[in-house]
Amino acid sequence: MKKTHTILLAVLLTQSLFLSGCATTNESDQKPTATDDPYENFNRKMFSFNDKVDDYVAKPISDTYKKVTPQPVQTGVFNFFNNLKNINVIINDALQAKFSQSAKDSGRLAINSSLGLLGLFDVAQHVGLEQNEEDFDQTLAVWGIPQGSYLVLPLLGPSTLRGIPGAAFDTAANPSTYIGMPIQVISLLNTRASAEGSLQFINEAALDPYVFTRESYLQWRNNLAADGKAKATYDVDDLDTEPADAQKDPTPSPTPTVVSANSNNETHHHSLTLEPEVTSSSNTSQPISGKIIQHKKGSKKKRKPLLNPKN
Amino acid sequence: MILKKLTLSCFYLVFIFATANAYSQEETAKQVVDKFQSELISVMKNGKQLGYTGRYNSLRDPVSNSHDLSKIARIIVGKEWEKLSGEQQKKLEDVIIKLSIASYAHNFKDYSGESFSFDSEEETTRGGVVIHSHLNIPEDKPVKFDYMLKENGTSWRIINIIANGVSDLALKRSEYTSILQRDGFDALISKIDEKIDNYSKL
Repeated sequence: MKKTHTILLAVLLTQSLFLSGCATTNESDQKPTATDDPYENFNRKMFSFNDKVDDYVAKPISDTYKKVTPQPVQTGVFNFFNNLKNINVIINDALQAKFSQSAKDSGRLAINSSLGLLGLFDVAQHVGLEQNEEDFDQTLAVWGIPQGSYLVLPLLGPSTLRGIPGAAFDTAANPSTYIGMPIQVISLLNTRASAEGSLQFINEAALDPYVFTRESYLQWRNNLAADGKAKATYDVDDLDTEPADAQKDPTPSPTPTVVSANSNNETHHHSLTLEPEVTSSSNTSQPISGKIIQHKKGSKKKRKPLLNPKN
Repeated sequence: MILKKLTLSCFYLVFIFATANAYSQEETAKQVVDKFQSELISVMKNGKQLGYTGRYNSLRDPVSNSHDLSKIARIIVGKEWEKLSGEQQKKLEDVIIKLSIASYAHNFKDYSGESFSFDSEEETTRGGVVIHSHLNIPEDKPVKFDYMLKENGTSWRIINIIANGVSDLALKRSEYTSILQRDGFDALISKIDEKIDNYSKL
């Protein structure tokens, strides 16, 4: 499913928290540009550092792991750590008052830990219990804590000021932290191996890998924190470049940069001037605004096999 | 005989009117997206036999006829557009068209049971339309694809695609304006050309 991974950057970036790397250009030679990235100088240096660590250490080890490990074993390892992560997901479900989801995720953990042989097999998805993505950074967002500036952390990769305490909490709430060194090494290997697709996509598609990673990471996190209901860049105000359009709309946005707010009143700076009235929702039956013209449900989700190759 | 000619004339008139009427009927935003998605899936199904060049050639018209690539080129460089000469603007439009087609040809190279499903259609307050859909992938989670369309003359055209909350246009705009401001126009074109070239080799 290499193609799947190359198509779906947003999905793939969920696995790219280990290293931000694989830049094709020398980032340290590039001057900062963005106005809403106050640590860009530092971030670019860290991005470049992580890239080199990835090139010379992480990627070779990960490639060897993928080469010598049979795919079913890789999938089992992925499922095992994914299952452990559910403890943190359940805690954050509760902290965000998502009690129904918390119950489902508890069921998922119980089924996979028992019938799934300690999580090696993802049995729960076959009874409709899909993996949810919740973490403490999202909980902080729900509590109204601002995201803060973008940061690239040494070895850990993309984050934000709010993401640092979030990551610390998530690490503390993950049992693999306490199991011991060999398990932690396997966990790191699994994380890097799972990130291969996204890193390759960035390599292929990005003109400026640092900016590409930053923008996609921030958009993805914003969307996760708002449960898919984040303000999306649906309508781009390009009126300043199109006089004909400007005549149609008497109230163009005055500046090229606006601040949009998600459902948690969290502010986000975008490099685009957006149409503020229109929002998106992953749950189309509950539009935030805008006029829904038609609504048809798509085809049902397909079941994953017990051994699901993730890369 | 005269009656027969009259009947034939009427038949032709009706036929011509019906044909003209069919052509003048504007495709809805949903129809534009549906058509593009089905053309994309069709190319994916024959992706391996077509090879990169075949996919590129097959996708040229579907991409050009469904996307407003000139508008996309203007938007992704923001206010820098006004600072470009006419020749530079034309050059940028040309490479964006090539990059968009090359990107599709590279990323949608084969088929393993994927399909698009329509979810809903939403009007934006500035006269745009958002088509909510998702891509079903066997053995994987479906991915949300939201298409933002605007009217270009008498037809609807895609100007942005948002995949699982990540906006392609916003991503490109950040990258392109950053490179334009930092390295200049020639460097931007050179980087885009390099990507197009890489897509043909990967």
